[in-house]
Amino acid sequence: MTTRTATAAAEDRDAALRVLLPAGVGILVLCAWQAATAITGVPEVLLPSPAAILSRLVAAAPDLLRHALVTGGDVVLAFGIAAASGIAIALLISASALLREALYPNLVLFQVIPKIALAPLFVIWMGIGSPSRVTFAVFVSLFPVAIACIEGLARADRQILQLCRAICATPVQTFLAVRVPFTLPYLFSGLKVASTMAVIGIVVGEFVTARAGIGFFILHASSKADTAGIFAALFALCLVGFALYAVVVAAEAAARRWWRG
Amino acid sequence: MTDGTIHATHVRKIYETRTDRIEAVAGVSFTAKKGEFIAILGPSGCGKSTLLMMCAGLETITEGSILLDGRPVTGPRPTTGIMFQDSTLLPWKTVLDNVLFPAKIQGRDMAKARRHAQELIELVGLKGFEGKRPHELSGGMRQRTAICRALVTDPDILLMDEPFSALDAITRDEMNEALLAIWETQVKTALFVTHSIREAVFLADRVLVMTRRPARIVEDLAIPFARPRPPGIQESVEFNRICGHLRGLIEPPRPGRAAPAPVPEMAAE
Ligand SMILES: Nc1ncnc2c1ncn2[C@@H]1O[C@H](COP(=O)(O)OP(=O)(O)OP(=O)(O)O)[C@@H](O)[C@H]1O
Ligand SMILES: [Mg+2]
Repeated sequence: MTTRTATAAAEDRDAALRVLLPAGVGILVLCAWQAATAITGVPEVLLPSPAAILSRLVAAAPDLLRHALVTGGDVVLAFGIAAASGIAIALLISASALLREALYPNLVLFQVIPKIALAPLFVIWMGIGSPSRVTFAVFVSLFPVAIACIEGLARADRQILQLCRAICATPVQTFLAVRVPFTLPYLFSGLKVASTMAVIGIVVGEFVTARAGIGFFILHASSKADTAGIFAALFALCLVGFALYAVVVAAEAAARRWWRG
Repeated sequence: MTDGTIHATHVRKIYETRTDRIEAVAGVSFTAKKGEFIAILGPSGCGKSTLLMMCAGLETITEGSILLDGRPVTGPRPTTGIMFQDSTLLPWKTVLDNVLFPAKIQGRDMAKARRHAQELIELVGLKGFEGKRPHELSGGMRQRTAICRALVTDPDILLMDEPFSALDAITRDEMNEALLAIWETQVKTALFVTHSIREAVFLADRVLVMTRRPARIVEDLAIPFARPRPPGIQESVEFNRICGHLRGLIEPPRPGRAAPAPVPEMAAE
């Protein structure tokens, strides 16, 4: 009994340490930053102190929230489309050897293109509205999902697939009972990458075209030399990205529980 | 009621690859009666797995025919149980769910399957491990789970491709005893592919000896021991005489190498 509580206590200590250690380092860096700006007297336009950023954040909060909702909405839309179409492409490519040989190398080639540089192209194609930015973000975040999913679908244990044939499983049964669970870890690592890519895609799009959104806010702040404003917007952007990432992680945990249960 | 006979006539298998044609099995014929345990023994690469896979309907038959229960094999058959060298368990499923997997896939009565699975799990000595996942089990326990999975649908034919060859010698002996115990309680026709002469003689009613590729059957030897077989028979003179005889068939004395001195009992053969 005492050993049980002892290990439980040790586990609690480890869990606390896992939170406290990185948090402590973060706070230490912020303190150092604050002290450095105070000691060197660097102008706020170049590098505002954390305290200055915080007060700017509080002041701009309603404004930032409005812009974050615009950006966040586009990000979620782009991520959703990218996830769905990435999975669809992966299923299509994995369905036949011919399609795989025809499409997969092209897909990998596309992946290599520095897609960020193509943002202006989407303005020409689709104008300056939200659809243009969403399409661009889908374009940026689609490939990680498709490639990870294709990889995962190909990874199903061949002997287990043979067992499925031996016990007369239908292709649909084999797909759901074996291929999907083998693919899930790959799919979710692709989705995690895609969630950050979608944020990047939307913000880059906003740099190019928008009249609202956090990218727009950053450009505007930059034109007024509002450096603290830029940092505040960056913080808001992190929250958007973090929220989406957290949703993906939660979905992964749920999917794993479901397939294991 | 099925009878579970296996009837192979002039079975041939040629693998066509891009570069050449490999004849893996050359005209094999044999018959297994209902409830008979047959071991297929032969050197590595001779075509034993190919023959078993053809019986399972997982590999096409180039020439000849295999009848299971009187019907020609055209593809996998739900009432054939199968075991591979690897346990091929689903890593995210528990022991019980792995055992139940074929029953679930085939849409069987799950309440009945669950009871049967529980019995089998007890019989192979896995009681208490039903909720564990494969990574928490030893290699032997994983193969025990695979035995239960092969039997959960109550097949009339059981096909096994070197199921214990990845295990250490001690675990292997245990598994052989477990398999015999379980097989002696249920009537199943069994085909058991192995490299191990002792394993074949200990388990089987008949041993089919295959040659190097392309595989033919060079001997069909009945094993005279009564059942149930105690593990102790492996020390008997008769057991070792049979093993020696089979070894002679599989490893013929090569030219340029002195033939091994014949064991005295072998001379009587
Ligand atoms: N899918 C395949 N395509 C082409 N050749 C194959 C294929 N499968 C097996 N072979 C060849 O057929 C021969 C027999 O193979 P098989 O796996 O049946 O042998 P085995 O007796 O089971 O060997 P081992 O004891 O090592 O398992 C081998 O020479 C192998 O190279
Ligand atoms: Mg083999």
